[in-house]
Amino acid sequence: MVPAVILLTILFPWTGALLVSITGDSRPRLQHFLAVLFSAVSGAFAIVLLLNTLPVWEGIVPAWVATDPYFSIPLGGAFGNVSFMADGLGVYLAAIAAVIGSLAILFSVDYMRGEKQLGRYYAYILLFIGAMTGLVLTTNMLFLFFFWEITALCSYVLISFNNDDPKAVAGGIKALIVTQLGGVGLLLGALLAYTVLGTYEIGVFIEKAPLAIPAFGLSIAAFGFLVAAAAKSAQFPFQTWLPDAMEAPTPVSALIHAATMVNAGVYLLARFFPAFEGVPGWKEAVIAVGVITALLAAFMALVATDLKRVLAYSTVSQLGYMVYGIGAGGIFASQVHLLSHSVFKALLFLGAGAVIHSIATRDMREMGGLGKKMPFTQIAFIIGALALAGIPPLNGFWSKELVLESGLVDGPRTAYYLMLFGAGLTAVYTFRMVAMVFFGKPRSEQHGHDAGLAMKISLGLLALGACATWLFTGRFGALLAGTLPLHSIHFLGVKELALELFTAKATYLALAVVALGLLIGWQRERLTGLVSLLRIPAGWARDSFGFEWINRRISAAVRGSAGGLSHTQTGQLNWNIAGILLGLVILLILMALGS
Amino acid sequence: MILDPLILVTAGVCLLAGVGLYGLLASRNLIKLIVAMQILTKAAVLALVAAGAASGRINLSQSLAITVIVVDTVVAAVGLALGVQVRKRFGSLDAANLASLRR
Amino acid sequence: MLFGLVVAGIILCAVLAITANRLLASAIWLAGVSALSAILFYMLGAREVAVIELSIGVGLVTVLFVFAISIAGDEAMNAKPLVPRILGMVLVLSLVVLLGWMAVPGFRTADPTTELTSTDILWEVRGMDLIVQVSLIFAGVLSVLGLLSEKILPARAAEKGGRS
Repeated sequence: MVPAVILLTILFPWTGALLVSITGDSRPRLQHFLAVLFSAVSGAFAIVLLLNTLPVWEGIVPAWVATDPYFSIPLGGAFGNVSFMADGLGVYLAAIAAVIGSLAILFSVDYMRGEKQLGRYYAYILLFIGAMTGLVLTTNMLFLFFFWEITALCSYVLISFNNDDPKAVAGGIKALIVTQLGGVGLLLGALLAYTVLGTYEIGVFIEKAPLAIPAFGLSIAAFGFLVAAAAKSAQFPFQTWLPDAMEAPTPVSALIHAATMVNAGVYLLARFFPAFEGVPGWKEAVIAVGVITALLAAFMALVATDLKRVLAYSTVSQLGYMVYGIGAGGIFASQVHLLSHSVFKALLFLGAGAVIHSIATRDMREMGGLGKKMPFTQIAFIIGALALAGIPPLNGFWSKELVLESGLVDGPRTAYYLMLFGAGLTAVYTFRMVAMVFFGKPRSEQHGHDAGLAMKISLGLLALGACATWLFTGRFGALLAGTLPLHSIHFLGVKELALELFTAKATYLALAVVALGLLIGWQRERLTGLVSLLRIPAGWARDSFGFEWINRRISAAVRGSAGGLSHTQTGQLNWNIAGILLGLVILLILMALGS
Repeated sequence: MILDPLILVTAGVCLLAGVGLYGLLASRNLIKLIVAMQILTKAAVLALVAAGAASGRINLSQSLAITVIVVDTVVAAVGLALGVQVRKRFGSLDAANLASLRR
Repeated sequence: MLFGLVVAGIILCAVLAITANRLLASAIWLAGVSALSAILFYMLGAREVAVIELSIGVGLVTVLFVFAISIAGDEAMNAKPLVPRILGMVLVLSLVVLLGWMAVPGFRTADPTTELTSTDILWEVRGMDLIVQVSLIFAGVLSVLGLLSEKILPARAAEKGGRS
């Protein structure tokens, strides 16, 4: 049954995408209906897949846990098999993608009402959901790359959805180029693995790579994957594409640029951790990337004035926490944080979407006092914000403490203190954001109204999730440990976790830092001395510390070379054949040399 | 030295493929292009049959060759129909006139 | 000896088909290539293919060519090739040399093994291919009909042009 469910989880949204685009934009109601239906069914399939692993939750090690794929469809020799695995890491990420995807689509019913070209919008979201579930469930590295690129394509199309807005188009192309650049690293690693091991199977790779692949090759693969992950998850030094991606419609930002696609990089690192663990310098590099990203992005979130950009910076920063957790060996901690973050960040984005939809601006300086007009949205948003800041008992507290704890135990001490400082910064910018949007006096004429019914359902469910997902931490750990024997995962049940966290001094230290951060956020108007002291770094932060320039240069260089190459496309048949012949001659020479 | 007929045929296949490719490369007339394609596929069919004869599995190679011939004929028919339509629309069979990628 | 003559004849016909100025001559030389290849197939032991090549390659395809040329007109085209002749020659020659160098030594006659007849292979082992072939033929016939029909197509094109 499970193979069918896996295939359906991937193919159902794709069928939906096809149907929505066939329906045509003249029947928007049918399009809304189809999109919600297909995404909801796919979400249900993903949950069935999750429930299928129930025995593992109880600690029973299933018979199918091995390095073999769960099932595979043979596809000839060239590409390996289309193989899938329903293990802990894949199943729960598939559930996140499909369930949050269906909630985002439900939210879109209100958010996108009356918009033109709904077909394009829904078709690409559905295509994305299918590709994301495929990405996390497949065990063939080539197909991992294939799904990876589909998600990048969907991200590009949806960022540039308002394609008459030059900012949206530029943001989309930038995101596409940067993530594709990272994808090259993934492809390089996959091809390298194939040339040495003769298979694309991830399981075989993880098991045999440290011994079978020579050290130099393995480190190329390891750092190639790190580049791929950093580009996809908007980590240092690629972090600037994500804020520019905020030109996308808000449900898209919530789904792709907060809850799912940006996690693909973290997933990649977690999945391949056992293979690359021993590569000298790799773990340190991962930790460094995580710490630098988390702090830089938190600083930028402090000074941003666009509501969605603040959330984007905070996403980058939280992804930095996950990457840091992986670098410190805390796969379990980072995955728990990934789960919490997907839920509360999707909640925050959708809440922001409700606000933006209601008053038609994203500039926080024009907001203020919205709490009275939008009480429901305010409550949901504050729940998400508290989770982001790491206030118990919301899920963000548990997972952030877990990450910090694994960093304290296994990582370098300096990195731990820096991340602790980052937690304080998170509290500051979270407080600033909530205060600027919902409290104080209205700063401009607004005709705010509260969220619609579909929006309320999505927000309510996500708020519930932000309060409750930590209860499943123990089960989740059992699932990961039971199905990923090579990752040597240590996990704790909820009770032991609570006991351990609340008896450790580090937790109170972290909470004190968070409280201090909230205090600073509250009193930020009065701390003029501190503010003026920070004016110069704040200016740097507004300029993205110069990385914006680097990313823009990369994007410009790629587009320039594309323009240059387009001169070779004359459209003349004879020249095309000459090109084909030249390629053939080169291939034959290579073959002759090789034999 | 007596040349093995199969070696002779193989060398002929290579030459025939070269002739077909040169035709594709050099001619601008659409129908001439299809003639060149026919020669190229003829070389492919010959290669298949020669390989079958060499490996002693002539029947397998025959069944493959039949597929190639059928597909090739359909391609020729569609290509010729396209050529006729192009002649009607553009008044010329010159492939160079069709390049509309850059205006 | 006979093999050498037939192979040389095939290549000669092919060269003439490519170099002929008039399309009709080109088509006739192509028929010559087909006929000689059919003889070669027969000599190599591929009898079914020889018959099919003779009927389809020499018969049907030639008829198609003559038909198309009679509609499209047999204009002599002496236009200069877009790709410089020398470049084309060099590319093709290097390809032929490389192909020959790699392919010729690989061909060694093996002892014939017992195997299924070609019809059995066609129907049983490669049944799926056969279905695809049949659908391909249908698709080909349909597209030829669509392309050659004169009245419907311009109207459709106009409609498309209006929509976009």
